[in-house]
Amino acid sequence: MRYLLRRTLHAVFLLLGVSLLTFLFSSLTPGNYFDEMRLNPQISPDTVAALRAQYQLDRPLPIRYLHWLNAVAHGELGFSFAYNTPVAPLLWVRARNTLLLTGTATILAWLMALPLGVWSAARLGRAPDRVLSWATATLLVVPDLVLALGLLILAVRTGWFPTGGLVSVGFEELSPFHKLRDLISHMTLPVLALVLATLPMLVRHIRASVAEVLDAPFLRAARSHGIPDRKLLYHYALRAAANPLISLFGFSVGTLLSGSLLVEVIMSWPGLGPLLLEAILARDLFVVIGGVLLSMLFLVAGNLFADVLLYWADPRIRTAASAK
Amino acid sequence: MQPLLKVENLGKQYPARKSARAIDNFAALDAVSFSIAPQTTLALVGESGSGKSTLALCIACLETPTSGKIFFEGIDVTALDQNRQLLLRPQIQLVFQDPASSLNPRWTALDIVSEPFLVQRRFSKPDRAVRALQLLDRVALPRKLAGRPVGELSGGQKQRLAIARALALEPKLIILDEALSALDCSVQAQIANLLVELQSSLGLTYLFITHDLAMAAHLADHVAVIQRGRIVESGPARKILSSPTHDATRSLLAATPRLFESPREPVSF
Amino acid sequence: MKQPRKLAKWFVLLLLLHGIIAAAGFFAPYDPVEQDRERPYLPPMSIHLMDAHGHFHFRPFFYPLKLREGSFDQYEENTTSAIPLLLFSNASSYHLLGFLPARLHLFGANGARIYLLGSDAYGRDQLSRILYGGQVSLLAGLLGAGVTLLLGALIGMAAGYYGGWRDELLMRIAELFLALPWLYLLFALRAFLPLAVSPFDSFLLVVVVIGMVGWARPARLVRGVVLSVKERDFVRAARGFGASDLYLLRRHILPETAGVILTQATILVPQFVLAEMTLSFLGLGVPEPLSSWGNLLASLQQYNVLVSYWWMYLPALAIVPFFLGYLRLASALQQSTVAYKIDEKDLWNPS
Repeated sequence: MRYLLRRTLHAVFLLLGVSLLTFLFSSLTPGNYFDEMRLNPQISPDTVAALRAQYQLDRPLPIRYLHWLNAVAHGELGFSFAYNTPVAPLLWVRARNTLLLTGTATILAWLMALPLGVWSAARLGRAPDRVLSWATATLLVVPDLVLALGLLILAVRTGWFPTGGLVSVGFEELSPFHKLRDLISHMTLPVLALVLATLPMLVRHIRASVAEVLDAPFLRAARSHGIPDRKLLYHYALRAAANPLISLFGFSVGTLLSGSLLVEVIMSWPGLGPLLLEAILARDLFVVIGGVLLSMLFLVAGNLFADVLLYWADPRIRTAASAK
Repeated sequence: MQPLLKVENLGKQYPARKSARAIDNFAALDAVSFSIAPQTTLALVGESGSGKSTLALCIACLETPTSGKIFFEGIDVTALDQNRQLLLRPQIQLVFQDPASSLNPRWTALDIVSEPFLVQRRFSKPDRAVRALQLLDRVALPRKLAGRPVGELSGGQKQRLAIARALALEPKLIILDEALSALDCSVQAQIANLLVELQSSLGLTYLFITHDLAMAAHLADHVAVIQRGRIVESGPARKILSSPTHDATRSLLAATPRLFESPREPVSF
Repeated sequence: MKQPRKLAKWFVLLLLLHGIIAAAGFFAPYDPVEQDRERPYLPPMSIHLMDAHGHFHFRPFFYPLKLREGSFDQYEENTTSAIPLLLFSNASSYHLLGFLPARLHLFGANGARIYLLGSDAYGRDQLSRILYGGQVSLLAGLLGAGVTLLLGALIGMAAGYYGGWRDELLMRIAELFLALPWLYLLFALRAFLPLAVSPFDSFLLVVVVIGMVGWARPARLVRGVVLSVKERDFVRAARGFGASDLYLLRRHILPETAGVILTQATILVPQFVLAEMTLSFLGLGVPEPLSSWGNLLASLQQYNVLVSYWWMYLPALAIVPFFLGYLRLASALQQSTVAYKIDEKDLWNPS
């Protein structure tokens, strides 16, 4: 229990540190930022003045940070100039779309990687393993930018998949089944791109961890007891190899919001990624800060989640923690 | 005559975490006192964890004791500031147990032996090479090994190299921290003889640290037995070996393999 | 000895690839900024040895393209005029490696325009643009990796050698940086710096930003090495001769870190090239008229380009051989000696 408390505290510190960093970055050129805003004809000089007053640019940095922190704690993430709406609801909608995408992709990737990795480790060095290794190595060499663009061109030239957006026009009028089908057809390409990008590394890691464990004496003893191979692999070997894999899983969870930026932009998926990009290009300060903060939250939460899982799954960590 | 080295009430404590709140102090050395006369050998004998290596590091000024004093040729070393201590360092040299880690495996033998000259900025470059080769001769290492990376030498050769390096700055005291323990028996004998020969020809003083009482007997004039950071018994070598008084000494004595006793005889204390 | 040969093989390959890009002026038939408004979006042209009448020619040649009857964007070969290809021709001048003036090109068409990889909206030769663009992207990656490794090594050495509160502090900050998704961090950093700068300044900015993002992992690795070397007896012995901290770091500790740093380099360079490509693709990196592999792909964001002009995707493939070379080199290094080994975990490229 103590251990979990420590990890949570650690996570909170991390978040505070990150928020500080983000805030510092944003205040690098606050004057310039607001000057640029004043040049923007869409924003009235009164708004600019009001915002300057609200964000108390005349006050020293620590006080500004505290004020900002206070606002954030209340869920107030500022105002978006480009969209003319408060930042928080904007972020939630986009984040939800992103999570739909990355959640599906992550689940699929893990569901495929686990059996592939375990199967490969069980046949280490033999033909199936070599083929798989070659395949993952080849995929690894193609960066996600190239992959996503390539898939997009494929979609465009074959016309098999829609080339952007969450849903088609006229989505509301469709029946629930058709709605689902429409959504899935829009999701296919981005999910494919994400899965292809993450699958090779996952398979490699799983294969490496399980292979390491397969050598262990306790497994040989189990096999000599007559335990069938499949049970050996999944019940015994995978469990023993779980630790680094749990950390990896936590990492996967952590990058749910941030890992798909490029794919979303390329495939025009209305998620957090394109929002962040537009905000950067439009100098929409608070959206950028809010977006970065939100994805950071996920990262830290992912790590914490991994810690909790590890604590729960590995008795050694529990006993070590309580012995301290 | 004034002892070359005199250690008085030396103590060294390390803070060790007992729990999240309490920090306990672990005493590696506790009120250690002894002295070594010039050109003699003192053997410090103890089992692992008794604090021998900590003592070696303190005397060589590589660790600072938490209490007590060290006198070298009458000067209180512990009271000196960093710079003055640095001046004294060349006089006390260390030879470590494992030559694989005490010699940088990527360097050549010549580089290793001339490193002390380099660090102390003595002599010109060609001079250093000449003196280094002379040192190799001193320890009976063939000159043709000079250009080889150290990783290629045998254990005995490496330890000779370590001794040659220790001699470079012409020290008065050499601390041998388990210097023979990692070597094969036959090689041990060779190196031991080398050490004896060097002592008589160069007038060296040795602090010989070991866990092997028999070896200590062979090389030392005096023996001090250390257990858990404390000196429990000390005196002339012959006396300690023939009539040990402390339990620690007795168990160390029993631990040394003897070829002459019948294996059926119970070990008598 | 299998390993060193494998190592050498990939190293030579990489050297060759980099060499081609470095000598872009020679390999590229045209100046990358040279426009030809009459020939926008031409598809790639093929080189022929056999002409339309079935005759074989020793000198390769090509046919210029003309618009197909009744179409305004479909091209076909104009078989009436064959233009010969000249090897080692003298064409537009350039500066090899930035300072040697030269006029020799690998091949040329004596003034005519041959587009081996097609042309873009302004009629600029894509092949030339890809070659020159590689200079920018690769340089950004190499410099960025250099900055990161320098920063990481310094911090790692300081933390590992001095220990204590300095170590704690530095490692906590490193943990913070490691916890940040580097792409987001890159974007955020780039966002808060002025958008409209000269191409050269923009390039510098990209390098600095990339460099500052990734130092945490190398720092941790270097620190690990320093911690283990620091306790070795040969370091103690050197201190026994009176060696200073600087001497120890320079002559004993630093050489031990070289292996880890080298392996990190082979992993970081392709990552950073990719980072530059991503930034430029999204408009946050190197701007026109300077070409980089990233901004060459930017036109793909337009739907009509995506549909009709598939050859605009080719710059994306340029990075693949480099990725292959670097990744293979990295794994060969890992397998050769322990000195180069990094935990497999650290090979992961988080985004």
